[in-house]
Amino acid sequence: MSKQTAVEAQMKNIIEENKKREHKYGIFQAILLDIFLVFYSILVVQRAIYYKFVLDIRDIPFSWLQIFIIFFISAVIGTSWALTRTSLSCKLFGVAKDNKVTKWNSELFGWFLFDITFIAGWIVTKISIIGLFSSEGLNGAGRLFSALFHPQFGIFDDALFAMIETIYIALIATLISIPPTLLISFFTARNLMRENKLTFAVYYVLRIILNFIRSIEPLIWAIIFSVWVGIGPFAGMIALLVHSIASNAKLYSEAIESIEEGPVEAISATGANRVQVVWHAVVPQIVLPFLSFTIYRWDINVRMATVIGLVGGGGIGTMLMQYQGLARWREVGLIVLMIAIVVWIMDYVSAKIREAIY
Amino acid sequence: MLLKVQNLHKIYKSGTHALKGVSFEVEEGEFLVVIGLSGSGKSTLLRCVNRLIEPTSGLVEFNGKDITHIKGEELRKVKMQIGMVFQQFNLIKRKSVLSNVITGKLGSLKTFESIIEKYSDEVYNEAYKCLETVGISDKAQIRADALSGGQQQRVAIARSLMQNPKLLLADEPVASLDPATSNSVMQYFEKINKELGTTVICNLHFLSLVRRYATRVIALRAGEIIYEGAPRDIDENWFKTIYGEEAEEVEIR
Repeated sequence: MSKQTAVEAQMKNIIEENKKREHKYGIFQAILLDIFLVFYSILVVQRAIYYKFVLDIRDIPFSWLQIFIIFFISAVIGTSWALTRTSLSCKLFGVAKDNKVTKWNSELFGWFLFDITFIAGWIVTKISIIGLFSSEGLNGAGRLFSALFHPQFGIFDDALFAMIETIYIALIATLISIPPTLLISFFTARNLMRENKLTFAVYYVLRIILNFIRSIEPLIWAIIFSVWVGIGPFAGMIALLVHSIASNAKLYSEAIESIEEGPVEAISATGANRVQVVWHAVVPQIVLPFLSFTIYRWDINVRMATVIGLVGGGGIGTMLMQYQGLARWREVGLIVLMIAIVVWIMDYVSAKIREAIY
Repeated sequence: MLLKVQNLHKIYKSGTHALKGVSFEVEEGEFLVVIGLSGSGKSTLLRCVNRLIEPTSGLVEFNGKDITHIKGEELRKVKMQIGMVFQQFNLIKRKSVLSNVITGKLGSLKTFESIIEKYSDEVYNEAYKCLETVGISDKAQIRADALSGGQQQRVAIARSLMQNPKLLLADEPVASLDPATSNSVMQYFEKINKELGTTVICNLHFLSLVRRYATRVIALRAGEIIYEGAPRDIDENWFKTIYGEEAEEVEIR
């Protein structure tokens, strides 16, 4: 009997600890978010709307002291607001009181945040309807478009060669990216790594690194590598490679995470070891998605390769940049036309292949 | 005694108390059926027995050995002796029936050998023998997902037979099959139990199947055993206690 009650007490403990932890965590998060939201509102209203729009000051005065004072004010307001359990953040984290005050608070504050953000965005973007429709501007655009629509076929041979170079850069980047991506994706799949603390730490660190790499655009990688290995196709290829690995590792590992758990359970129930479980229960389920993602990545890489060319990554993009610099718009027209056609073909072909695989 | 479960508790991280002090014993050669509503803890119980999950407290003793909290290589050795069949068959859909059956042998194969998928003739012969036991050796080269539900479940049974299991667990093996197919699949469990002498523990829903195949019955409700005894002793009253007042028995033949 005593054993029985001990177990029941243990269960109650677990449930209550869960609840308490959630609650504590929730109110803490709510305070932080409220401080941030109030801080954000004051800053936006003061700097974007008041200084820039109402006073129309060009160089907005900046002082750390002022920012600090604003932060202090918002910390006080945010904390006290969250502690009343009626704020927007409390509602978001599920620790709010369920009454009318909460409803009014969160609705009004929500709309207020949306409005000031939209207004500040409008002011910052310097939206100007007049600029869009001035006769001077329209004339310039007209000249450009007419040149683009009368492409100069004199440079067709060169452009074709550059285009092929671009396609190959993309292809090589995609192919080389496959083995490292495969390897990494298994270590960044939550369902394979969550079992013990060490593997979960590896998972976590790898995810952070990949997120960081992915957040840097291939264009910027191309700039980095054109300094590192010199301007040219090689730099462009490495830039695409780095980005392909980071992006596809995420897609691959998501494919691994969404496999059916059943076969995995069944194979591990037979007494197979971890490697065997992965090889026989996970791999067969992900081969097709992997293939499909890889083909899609090649398609994306061809498009990106043209952009990367703009910063010296070789191929058709570099050529486009040269003629644009010389303001030879009819040659630019031809190059743009060729890029459009190739991207369209790639898009179509990769879609067809992916359809056929499934 | 093959299996001894004593005062078994399982509390999931979410706080769900799935098993509340379950105790029972299974002799060699028995065909034990576990019945109870969905969520009564039947699946949890089976998964504690072959240690797909770890019990919170209590004792699981298999073949005279305490396996309640064992880990790693030791656990793998125990898993190899316990076969399991699932409601959703859990076959590798894109692979052939034969390769699916061979996966039952993985525990005793070398890792490298199983990755390059070069198996000895012995393994192939054994796989064919297991397929013959469930009567579908002619389908060996077909993709698993090209088979009907009943046939897939028979492949799953063949896969667990590859382990030469001392104990065969079946988690609602016929719940997603039609009545006629259910009966034929259950007959294979009976055949394995009687001819090979394998002990079977099976979760079931239909009482008519229970009466026909079980040698002994355990009924679970909310994680506790509320009935233990012979299948023929489950009358109308017991049925209502197990499945609730609203329940009415459905016949399946």
